[in-house]
Amino acid sequence: MKGFCSLLKKDVGLMASGKFFLMSLGFLILYTLYVNFGYVRFVNAQLFHVYLYDPAGTQETVSPQVRMVSGKEGIYTALRDDDAGIGIDASTGKPELIFYEGEEKADRFRVDYAYSSLQPLADYHAEAVGSNTPEQKKRKEITCELLFFEIAAVGFLGIASVLFKEKSMGVIRVHAVLPIRKTLFLLSKLTVFLLSDLVFAILLTILNVGPADTAVILPAVLLQTVFLSLIMALIGLVCALLLKDFRQFTLAYLLITVFVATPVFLSANSPVKLDWIHFHPFYHIYMGLKNAYFGTITENLFYYVGCLAAIAILFAGAWYVFSKEMGKEG
Amino acid sequence: MIEVKDLAFSYGKDKQALRGLNFTVEDGEIFGFLGPNGSGKSTTQKILTGILKGHKGKVWLFGQDISVMHTQEFFQKIGVLFEFPYLYANLSAVDNLKYFSSFYPKAQLRDVDELLEKLEFKKDFLKKPVSSYSKGMRQRVSMARALISNPKLLFLDEPTSGLDPSGAVLFRKIIEEERRKGTTVFLTTHNMLDADLLCDRVAFIANGEIAALDTPKNLKEQNSNQHVLITYLYQGKREEKTIGTSELEMGIPFLHDGIVSIHSQEPTLEDIFIRYTGRGLG
Repeated sequence: MKGFCSLLKKDVGLMASGKFFLMSLGFLILYTLYVNFGYVRFVNAQLFHVYLYDPAGTQETVSPQVRMVSGKEGIYTALRDDDAGIGIDASTGKPELIFYEGEEKADRFRVDYAYSSLQPLADYHAEAVGSNTPEQKKRKEITCELLFFEIAAVGFLGIASVLFKEKSMGVIRVHAVLPIRKTLFLLSKLTVFLLSDLVFAILLTILNVGPADTAVILPAVLLQTVFLSLIMALIGLVCALLLKDFRQFTLAYLLITVFVATPVFLSANSPVKLDWIHFHPFYHIYMGLKNAYFGTITENLFYYVGCLAAIAILFAGAWYVFSKEMGKEG
Repeated sequence: MIEVKDLAFSYGKDKQALRGLNFTVEDGEIFGFLGPNGSGKSTTQKILTGILKGHKGKVWLFGQDISVMHTQEFFQKIGVLFEFPYLYANLSAVDNLKYFSSFYPKAQLRDVDELLEKLEFKKDFLKKPVSSYSKGMRQRVSMARALISNPKLLFLDEPTSGLDPSGAVLFRKIIEEERRKGTTVFLTTHNMLDADLLCDRVAFIANGEIAALDTPKNLKEQNSNQHVLITYLYQGKREEKTIGTSELEMGIPFLHDGIVSIHSQEPTLEDIFIRYTGRGLG
């Protein structure tokens, strides 16, 4: 235990000297500012501006968000600056739409939206699913994305940079002849990074989702954070031990983050559906985290078994390459 | 202390590093393990220190088979100085030593300050990070790290590397002191002077095999051509002559006015190594 504490203290010191904690704090502030002063404002932003030319006032129930223009030329002028906007020419009494053609599905949506803005008082009855307000939903979505990105990309880079430092100093070899269980060397790093990621997850969630909701979702969020953090930290350890220098690692890092993050974000947060995404392990981890943010606990036992198996296999791999590193020449 | 029998090791299928080594190291002995690069020195040391596993043959340390004894207790009894001074560059000498010593029982530890003073470490640098040290200073801290736990068995790999002559003399003095305390020293080196001055016995290793093993004195005597070089003065001229030692028994067997010097033509350890292995100590 005493040896493990010494390792922990040393790893915390190395991370602090490498400005890791400062960097994490910086990211926390940056993400929080972005969510609170940028992202959530998009909730209230209009998707498409609607420009109406109705000299005779034939349209009686026009939404206040519709912008009136004087003359058909006014519509063209507005659309030149706002090519996603939709113009309505009601000079004949019958609304006719004018807009730049785009993707078919989006165009249909724009048409419906433009027509609906002429009848805003229509009696729409829809059952609201879930208790999240649109803003809260947005907050949870973006917090989940940022946490996933932080752990998958930033934390992963952090653990590798610490290990590369020790590798370049050769001190890993000294640990081979110290009276400690060698696995503790890896476990101490995993512990420090896991704790750091958990603290980050707690603060990010409180600051961006709010304390009340955080209290409800936090246990599930932390469980998913543990899985993601351990998996990424172990991948970082293996890469740092296998690759020769930080330059090689940076290339591997780009490949990993691009292949981990891009398809997962695309499939999980956009209408784009990749057929093979269910074979992407990080898709399931991301969805596990997202479900946790929305209070839905992942009940699939295979998911948990898969995560634990991945952690065990990666740890065995990390231990193997670590043992090789200890036996290397200077 | 160390007993090695038919020790063999290979890296993969084709790279045979050790081919059946046999030697023993007695308690309190300084045993020199000499050989050129790639001869198997480091591999042997790694097997003995438990870093490399999967060897063939038998190795006993402290009277126990090493394949079952690489426990924490074993590592508490050994000290290892690596060829390069591996230290945390962001920490000071004192912090490095405090960190590495934290893994040993307190009762067996030496005092950090006292040890650094013994190694003539510059006091101004005690609290400065290792990144600001010269190679010699780093080597002193590394030696302190190897000695801090009062090991019973000390593995030293090129201990005087990177030291100036006075530093090398100091290190040899410290190694001698360790021997007097009863510490067994397994010394791996290229430095023939270190081996000659320090070692009770030396083993020459080449191509994974021990080519010769004896005391430096015996090796030199066995390989001596029994000749001496005499520099003398005769009729105002300085001259040299090499003669057999047996010829000296009856006095100087040639005319001379004075003797300037007599040098034995005993081979150096390096000469002997080349004779046994056909290779220099590169």
